[in-house]
Amino acid sequence: MKADVRLVGLGKRYGAVGAVEGFSLDVAAGELVSLLGPSGCGKTTTLRLVAGFITPDDGEIWVGDRRLSSRDAVVPPERRRMAMIFQSYALWPHLTVAQNVAYGLRFKSDVPRSDRDRRVAEMLRVVQLAGLEHRYPGELSGGQQQRVAVARALVVEPDILLLDEPLSNLDANLREEMRFEIRRLHEAFGITTLYVTHDQAEAMVISDRVAVLERGRLAQVGRAEDLFRRPRSRFVAEFIGKTNIIDAVATGPDTVARAALRLRVDAKDLTAGAPVLVSVRPHEIELSTGPVPRTPDNAFAGVVRRASYVGTAVDYQVTLAGTDVTLRVTAPVTVRLAAGDTVAVRLDPAACVALPPAP
Amino acid sequence: MRGLDLSLPVWALATLLLLALIGLPIGWLVALSVTGEHGLTLAHYVDAFRSVALRRALWNTVVMAFWVGVLSVAIGAPLAWLTARTDLPGRRLLRALVMASFVTPPFLGAVAWVMLAGPNAGVLNKLWRSLTGREAALLDIFTMPGLIFVVAIYTFPYVYVMIGNTLELVASDLEEAAAVLGAGRLTTARTITLPLVAPAIVSGFIVSVLQALALFGSPAILALPAGFHTLTTQVWGMFQYPPRIETAAAVSLPLLVATALLLMLQRRLLGRRGYAVVGGKGGTRRRLALRAWRYPALLGCFVVMACAVLLPYGVLARTAFSRAWAQPLTWDNLTLRNWTFTFFEYSATRSAIVNTLELGLLTASVGAGLAALLAYVARRRTIVGHQLVGFVALAPIAIPGVVLAVALFIAYTRPPLILYGTLWILFVAYVTKEMPVGYAQCDATFRTIPAELEEAGRILGARPLRVLGEITAPLARSGIIAAWCFIFIGVIRELSASIILFTASTKVMSVVIFDLKEEGQFGAIAVLGLFMIVMTFGVVLLMERVLGRDFLGVRE
Repeated sequence: MKADVRLVGLGKRYGAVGAVEGFSLDVAAGELVSLLGPSGCGKTTTLRLVAGFITPDDGEIWVGDRRLSSRDAVVPPERRRMAMIFQSYALWPHLTVAQNVAYGLRFKSDVPRSDRDRRVAEMLRVVQLAGLEHRYPGELSGGQQQRVAVARALVVEPDILLLDEPLSNLDANLREEMRFEIRRLHEAFGITTLYVTHDQAEAMVISDRVAVLERGRLAQVGRAEDLFRRPRSRFVAEFIGKTNIIDAVATGPDTVARAALRLRVDAKDLTAGAPVLVSVRPHEIELSTGPVPRTPDNAFAGVVRRASYVGTAVDYQVTLAGTDVTLRVTAPVTVRLAAGDTVAVRLDPAACVALPPAP
Repeated sequence: MRGLDLSLPVWALATLLLLALIGLPIGWLVALSVTGEHGLTLAHYVDAFRSVALRRALWNTVVMAFWVGVLSVAIGAPLAWLTARTDLPGRRLLRALVMASFVTPPFLGAVAWVMLAGPNAGVLNKLWRSLTGREAALLDIFTMPGLIFVVAIYTFPYVYVMIGNTLELVASDLEEAAAVLGAGRLTTARTITLPLVAPAIVSGFIVSVLQALALFGSPAILALPAGFHTLTTQVWGMFQYPPRIETAAAVSLPLLVATALLLMLQRRLLGRRGYAVVGGKGGTRRRLALRAWRYPALLGCFVVMACAVLLPYGVLARTAFSRAWAQPLTWDNLTLRNWTFTFFEYSATRSAIVNTLELGLLTASVGAGLAALLAYVARRRTIVGHQLVGFVALAPIAIPGVVLAVALFIAYTRPPLILYGTLWILFVAYVTKEMPVGYAQCDATFRTIPAELEEAGRILGARPLRVLGEITAPLARSGIIAAWCFIFIGVIRELSASIILFTASTKVMSVVIFDLKEEGQFGAIAVLGLFMIVMTFGVVLLMERVLGRDFLGVRE
């Protein structure tokens, strides 16, 4: 049964430290949402709250019309109809692959005993582990162990699937491969899923929506593209992809200034005199060798400080003439400049995102 | 693990235990030591420490403990380094012998050394006389140096284990890093290896001193005939007629405080050694080629192990099959008489064997169970105040056996619980004394079982008790069996508490060996001793099999 998850004002404190504070999030039935953030941001705590391993100090957790957690009552994990894939995989070393996968089926009254073996075999085939039924976890490679963990969680057909950094123990190549694998399995089974990770690329590939956490609070939630193109805070702008941040002051509803530098930005309601942060992605800055055009907005003269060839592109550091602003620019390899060259720099106003100053 | 709220029952149990095992006895110990006929008094302390005999005993104890510490380090440190870091031949055998010395009851070693180096009849002295034709004895074990020697050869394994474990953790690349920077071999040893191992050496010294302080058997067997006392034999003497229990209490308390302070010092040292446990993996260890030093080193090791294990075991075996142990081993002198006497005819030894086995099985089973429960709740933080559980379980480490016995004697010879005169008081003493060992073993076991393995079971639908039975228990089984073995070995060799708590019908093997020594029944001692050793080795082998690792806890 597909179910939606609602987290309402969740809070969890350890001593005086708030691990999670006022966290609300709705996950639609069949949706895959990532909880993304640096270590210590509360994402794993949130997942463990949803699993029922810990009791919230504030707020509630709902699945469909069942209230699973509040500060007064917590439905124990075994009655939540969830499954979880742990960072360590948490495979039981004393049970074989088949026994590990079959474990959860014993507690499902709607799966007859005679059906268990068939389901286990079927699931092992889906995760490409057929033939390894009688191995012990210690006899498998990291990638295979990971697949066992996936099989063990999926075979019980949970209402909700929870994943806690499941790919972080794999090597880089395998990790990329497994991203697509997990996305494929999600599309095949359609289980409502919460996915914890600190890797923004992973979150963007796998999820329908990404929730970015900052110090126990929800910073922003949305589709990967929205977060990338329309970050609402410096934290999100810097955590999702690379960016340049210019510390400036508003001069009109859509213009800002930093000393001699005047910029038109993608905004309509700035208050003149208010501090503003401007975020510009390195690959959205255009460089050209000709003279600086007079007419378009946001065109400046600049000097190349450093050029680094990185294969698919060239990374430049460019200082805007007459200012203290140095921008990082990612340009296609067709434009080749050397340190010391003078260039025309253009920042598309639509790519200049105005952000509130950091508190 | 949520959902299984053990707080109340566990706390009730832990509190009860704390009270029965430590609180009540130590409480009475303190109370009795400051109570006179007319209320509060310090007279017992004044009496005790004004007595010249006791002050001498105190000085003897300090001298003995200090030199035992020095000698243990002097033996244990080189041996540990030789096995861990060099290409010394026969390292496995050496480790096995160190293990044998570790599990040999010290009082048995002391009795064996009486037979080896007693000034008149000692086997080694006779050999010396027959070789040289001189009259005077070569060795006299009934002296302070003799006592220090016999204690140290059974105490150095503590140093060996601590230093061995640390050397295992200091990867060769730390030393190689120094070598690359231009440090010579000696400079590297002085500036890198030694400082890293130093905390282990100091803490090994302290543990050896503590062992020596608490020891009763060896001083009783070697010092008393020589006409001097240590604190433990003094306290024991206060239980002989006429009993002076209050004075015993007044002597016990300072001993308890001294032990606790030394232990705290050692913990601090170990607590700050964080830097010594460097580098998780990738630590390969080079072995130093000894070249020309191989054979001198081997000879040194052989001499130590001969003193600690080979000679004592040899003389015990020889005595067990002799009519007269001091006579040469000829056909006429060979007999099985000692064995039939010990096992079938002499009622004291028979009932002692039965008592010891009963107590061993009972204490090991109850103790391992309790230790597992306490370690589990403490490690999984399932209850409020879980940190206290570990503290309580480990606290008895600081209580020397004699002190524990005095305290238990005072507490359980009066209402509400009169246990004195039954096996139960020994049971309580043993559970208390062995709890730290069992707890440490169980705690180490649960540390290797991540909580996630249990959570994975819960989230898939298993109730807490089922997870405990199907996931936790199978994974912890071998560790708990090991705890059982540790406790069993500890119980069958226990003497220092038993010697004060036994009564005529509740003698155990160690006490009977002590009695037989007074009667000069060396044949029966040898038989009982060998039986004790065989039983111990049997349990050690079982444990190494179950754990799949070496008893001493160091990888080869």
